[in-house]
Amino acid sequence: MKHKVRLKDIAKPAEVLCPLAATDLDPVPGYEEQPFKPAKPDWQEKYDFSLDGFSALGLTKPASKEEEDALVDKFLRGLEKLFTRENNWTFMQPTLLSTDYCVRCNTCNEACPVYVESGRQDIYRPNYRSELLRKLYQRYFTPEGRLLGGFVGADVELNWRTIYRLAELTYRCTICRRCAATCPVGVDNGLLNRELRKLFSQELGIAADGVHKSGTMRHLQTGSSTGMTPAAFLDTIEFIEDDIEERIGRRIKIPIDKKGADVLLIHNAGEFVSWPENPAAFAILLDAAGIDWTLSSESMGYEGVNYGTWYDDFQFARVAVAQVQAAKKLGVQRIVVGECGHATKALVEIADRVCVGDLAIPREGCLPLLEKIVTSGAIKFDPGKNNFPVTLHDPCNMVRLMGIVSPQRNVLKAITPPGCFREMPNAGIMNYCCGGGSGFAVMNTLNFPQWRDNVASRMKAKQVLEAFKDCLDPAIPKYYCAPCSNCKGAARDALMNHYGFRDKYNIIYGGLVELMVNAMVDIPKPFISWEDEF
Amino acid sequence: MSATLGWLIAGPFMYLAVAVFAIATLKKVLTIAAMPRHLRWDLYPIAHEGPEGSAFQKAEFWKRPRHYNLACELAEMAEEILLLKRTFLYNRKIWNFSYPMHAGFYLITGWIVLVALGAVAEVASGLKISTASTVFWAQALNAVTVVVGAGGLALGLFGCLGLLWMRYTDEDLRDFSSPVTFLNLYLLIALFGVGLAAWLAEDPSFVLARGYAASLLTLGPVALPPLMTLEALLFGIFLIYLPFSRMLHFAAKYFFYHNIMWDDEPLVSGGGLDKTIVGYLHYKAEWSAPHLKSGGSWLEQATTNPAKPKEEGK
Ligand code: SF4
Ligand code: SF4
Repeated sequence: MKHKVRLKDIAKPAEVLCPLAATDLDPVPGYEEQPFKPAKPDWQEKYDFSLDGFSALGLTKPASKEEEDALVDKFLRGLEKLFTRENNWTFMQPTLLSTDYCVRCNTCNEACPVYVESGRQDIYRPNYRSELLRKLYQRYFTPEGRLLGGFVGADVELNWRTIYRLAELTYRCTICRRCAATCPVGVDNGLLNRELRKLFSQELGIAADGVHKSGTMRHLQTGSSTGMTPAAFLDTIEFIEDDIEERIGRRIKIPIDKKGADVLLIHNAGEFVSWPENPAAFAILLDAAGIDWTLSSESMGYEGVNYGTWYDDFQFARVAVAQVQAAKKLGVQRIVVGECGHATKALVEIADRVCVGDLAIPREGCLPLLEKIVTSGAIKFDPGKNNFPVTLHDPCNMVRLMGIVSPQRNVLKAITPPGCFREMPNAGIMNYCCGGGSGFAVMNTLNFPQWRDNVASRMKAKQVLEAFKDCLDPAIPKYYCAPCSNCKGAARDALMNHYGFRDKYNIIYGGLVELMVNAMVDIPKPFISWEDEF
Repeated sequence: MSATLGWLIAGPFMYLAVAVFAIATLKKVLTIAAMPRHLRWDLYPIAHEGPEGSAFQKAEFWKRPRHYNLACELAEMAEEILLLKRTFLYNRKIWNFSYPMHAGFYLITGWIVLVALGAVAEVASGLKISTASTVFWAQALNAVTVVVGAGGLALGLFGCLGLLWMRYTDEDLRDFSSPVTFLNLYLLIALFGVGLAAWLAEDPSFVLARGYAASLLTLGPVALPPLMTLEALLFGIFLIYLPFSRMLHFAAKYFFYHNIMWDDEPLVSGGGLDKTIVGYLHYKAEWSAPHLKSGGSWLEQATTNPAKPKEEGK
């Protein structure tokens, strides 16, 4: 069912503005919808669920009129700052243009997987939150809005409900920017969503726990968003060396803190914790290809993530600067970011205008390097060892936001037999987000995961089913290749645990390097197994 | 309408409107252009990278010469501007009307140029350009002007009426339309509609329009018949209003593409961009969340760690 919610309704005192139910969602073939579990009564009492019945932020309801007014005041102060040079030079031009020149054609709507899969709920339209931003900005800060009010569209009331719902709404968009790729004008609703998140974080101190408190703050405190300290990192590396020995029959010494190495490899540290076979596969490949490489054990030097990318310019800059400083200490020639989409985009692209002066050291993603390893002939691969259907997930950050499309395909074509690799629909630049983007993969508080798995990852589930539609029989093992840590997190939580793809269809997921090692002629045993717990 | 009022609209008001349009548009464009360089927020493929689409696809991309194929960039922009490519691909329903409306504008812009050319040609050659012309080029210019002008007005009117119909009947579009959205459409409908009526009733081969253009160019504006005067009034209002409305997206679009989506200029240590960004780092940021230091410079903030790192693990 579609819940009609007009823009003005955002300020309404309704208990839940758009009470989303599982039956509202667009069906996934072969999946039996489960009703949503209602939020626990003690949560409901304490936190605000008034947007759609879910809470990503755990916002406590204001206790008095004074608290409500203070919230409104702060919001307005923050809103004003988004449009000032000194406070927002980082994104002022795109923000202003996207605010001023939307022609309200709604072309962006159908591009958005969240909107489409939710059963086309109004509140999830890409331009719904942008339009609220515009209306509020107009109403309070432009002469035409102040003078003409509703005539020019400045008709949304600002109260604590508007603010809380808008804050929650910024965490119903994965900032995949698929909508921006279809906008005829060039307006970027993903960007405006991030600007709103910034306003909430930088002025009101409101951000999802997973990206802030247990994200960038923990990262800056311990050296990694996982909480892994340098000492724990060194222990993990030893464990990975043991694991490699067990898997390939010989020990590889993983280079740590090698001064002046050609390559400093930075992984998303989530790999060490959840998928150690990925850094292991990297070590095997780089060693076999004879690359002069190293990992860093310096705090911030072994963690590639930058959750600031999604919500806060200052946290972004702090993390990026510290990461590059760690590389500088080692005097490496270049930084290569492992299989993590947002980490690659953050450090290679966005941080390009943060790492100024002597911090401007070369940085790149791993996919072109992996392609080079394959095409150089440094390692012998036997595609026959990957004789099972494989499909490829394109992390938004790598394809649409960095244009890295062909290297991963060239690798796959070289390491799989003909006919095994199949594209999913909408592959490449216009691919859909895994559902874990913009921090969703690490946001696990209250009932938000239920929303994420059901709504944000739904389109990905359909794409995967479509890619494997000729071989869904569980007797055929299948591999969903996602060269990104966060995307793997979403695959684990949504595709495997929620939609049950592993049990039902025998689909497993993993990165690209694991497939590469699996095809190496020199490795006697299969590196990938359908028996292991991935 | 008195003759004096008619002359005031066709003459002084039109000069004023053109001046306001030119100055206000220029000011808006310069304001946008003068905004600080933002952090990179690319959207791929980047047209000037050519078929490859992205420098990041190659290992050690910084060692390769930077691709900057202006022809590819212009071709992609031309496709977007002239054909409304994205609307065509992703929103055919709107394109069916939006394209005629935009085509109407392009043709009318072309028509203004043709009328001005005709006016200059008439002054230079002493010939009258009309359907009765006996000289080939004059006949051809007349025919092209009529087709382009009348075609532009008709297409523009059709497109605007269609868009208005959609805004009223499509519930989703209506929700996102404020009264000013409708006002814009009504203004455009009046502009194209009255233009079409004036052409049919008063000036079928644009002889008067050419004379009027010549009078404006030679700074001796003449009065016009009633419908043409009304059209001049509407056109003047449109020109004055345009730079202050979201219809200026035609100019903003250049910045969206060229300065945001496709701004992939890499930072080179010691280069111009590096110096520009370093300049911004001295700006004071007043954001006041607990993890920030309100009033501190960007440089200070970026190098401050709000969560004391634990050293004991090392
Ligand atoms: S953001 Fe773009 S596509 Fe969406 S309504 Fe605005 S102009 Fe249209
Ligand atoms: S950025 Fe992605 S998730 Fe967000 S509104 Fe656009 S298409 Fe939807």
